[in-house]
Amino acid sequence: MIPVFLWLLATIDSAFIGYREAAGRNALIDKRAYYRRALIRGALVGQVAVLLVGVITAIVLASSNDAGALFSKLESVGTRMLTVYVPYALILLVTFLVRAFPSVDIRSITSVLIFGPFTFIRPIVVLAGAVWGVVAAPGTITIALTVLIVCLMLGLGGALSWLRSRGLIS
Amino acid sequence: MSLSTITRHGPEISDAIVSFDPVTLQRKPVKKADVLVQFRELRNHEAVRIVEQMPEQDGVLDPAAVDKVLITSHCEMQRMSEEFQHGKRVAELLKPILQALREGGVKNPIRIVDIGCGTGFVIRWLAASGSLGDDVQLMGVDFNVALLNEAQRLATIENLRCKFEVANAFKLDEPATIFISTGILHHFRDEALSYLLQQHCRPETCAFVHFDFHSSPMAPLGSWLFHAVRMREPLAKHDGVLSAVRAHKSRYLLEVTRSAAPEFVSAIYGTRLWRMPIPRVFHSLVGIRPKYRDAFLSNMGTRIASLGKIE
Repeated sequence: MIPVFLWLLATIDSAFIGYREAAGRNALIDKRAYYRRALIRGALVGQVAVLLVGVITAIVLASSNDAGALFSKLESVGTRMLTVYVPYALILLVTFLVRAFPSVDIRSITSVLIFGPFTFIRPIVVLAGAVWGVVAAPGTITIALTVLIVCLMLGLGGALSWLRSRGLIS
Repeated sequence: MSLSTITRHGPEISDAIVSFDPVTLQRKPVKKADVLVQFRELRNHEAVRIVEQMPEQDGVLDPAAVDKVLITSHCEMQRMSEEFQHGKRVAELLKPILQALREGGVKNPIRIVDIGCGTGFVIRWLAASGSLGDDVQLMGVDFNVALLNEAQRLATIENLRCKFEVANAFKLDEPATIFISTGILHHFRDEALSYLLQQHCRPETCAFVHFDFHSSPMAPLGSWLFHAVRMREPLAKHDGVLSAVRAHKSRYLLEVTRSAAPEFVSAIYGTRLWRMPIPRVFHSLVGIRPKYRDAFLSNMGTRIASLGKIE
């Protein structure tokens, strides 16, 4: 279940990375289709990142002398990462529910108190989750994989912007 | 963007890199060296760095490059306005005013003019929402042709019923019934602010609503955080934070308004959230002719709790 939860969080996170990367670049009033595309694009690019991590993990496991023990170590790292990422995601999810209330003031306050500050601290949360996870099972492979995951989580937005600057997305 | 921006004073970069003749509205060349000297004297190194990056031709800032930066910045500012539901906020305040004017028998059409509209987000949002009524004409004015061309282009794509004009808002052939603006007031200091408000005193003008940053101790830091996470363009980040720093205090705005535009009763709307000591990001200066005052107040409904004393 741990890999499934991690995949689910990675997909949601990358969808919102897609949204944030697209925001502030289109001045039309009705941007529903534009943002829908951005969310889907982010989620799809996120799958590429997940696939990369998945393939490398599979290769590492396949070439390990004790794949079972290594898988257990990776799972314990993932479990600890979730203890940091799930509360963060849940707070955002609840805030989205609050924001559904049709009040200008309530919607604004969700931004002031949660969406703005939480976007600001996201890199710190990503790093904190990674460090907390690795501490559970320190080792060359777990550290290397965690560093890869952190780089992908923090670099996805930049990658999308790079694709945009090359005219590959709009 | 450095956190030290919250300690800055002086003009915003966007004020310094463009200049217009107030009579002919023609754009005047701006020497890059003059802008750099101005910011160096203010020890605003961040602004110096941003301006240094701007292309020049024979010592003059390249107008096309400047316009490109301004259009990008306005697009990013629109994102922030959308997040904070600014269009809806403007509409919520305009509706009771419009109703009061209609009840008072104001001649149709009611013309709403957005002063310094930039790329026209508010006017386009109001047009797209269609919530103000068919008797309302929406118009945005600005001195910058490039920004208005962009506003018109966007309005045309979405087939919106509004128009944009390079003009002095107070010298229009068809005068405004209601003046509105967003993020404009803090650009005007002292006598200039007083003069801006004096010009509202013309027979056709019945009301005005000016939204701007609400000056509070937390505003510069909050603005810094939001501009850090939401903006990309360095100029937009710098000027956005400086706007919050330079915001006029509510009491000062009211004093100037009541002295400069005595034909109107005025108040500040929305300084506190739900009567609690939580400052809002934006507040608005509202003015209306006394004959419409009572109808306006009765049309405000529960929102009247957010309106200060109107006199």
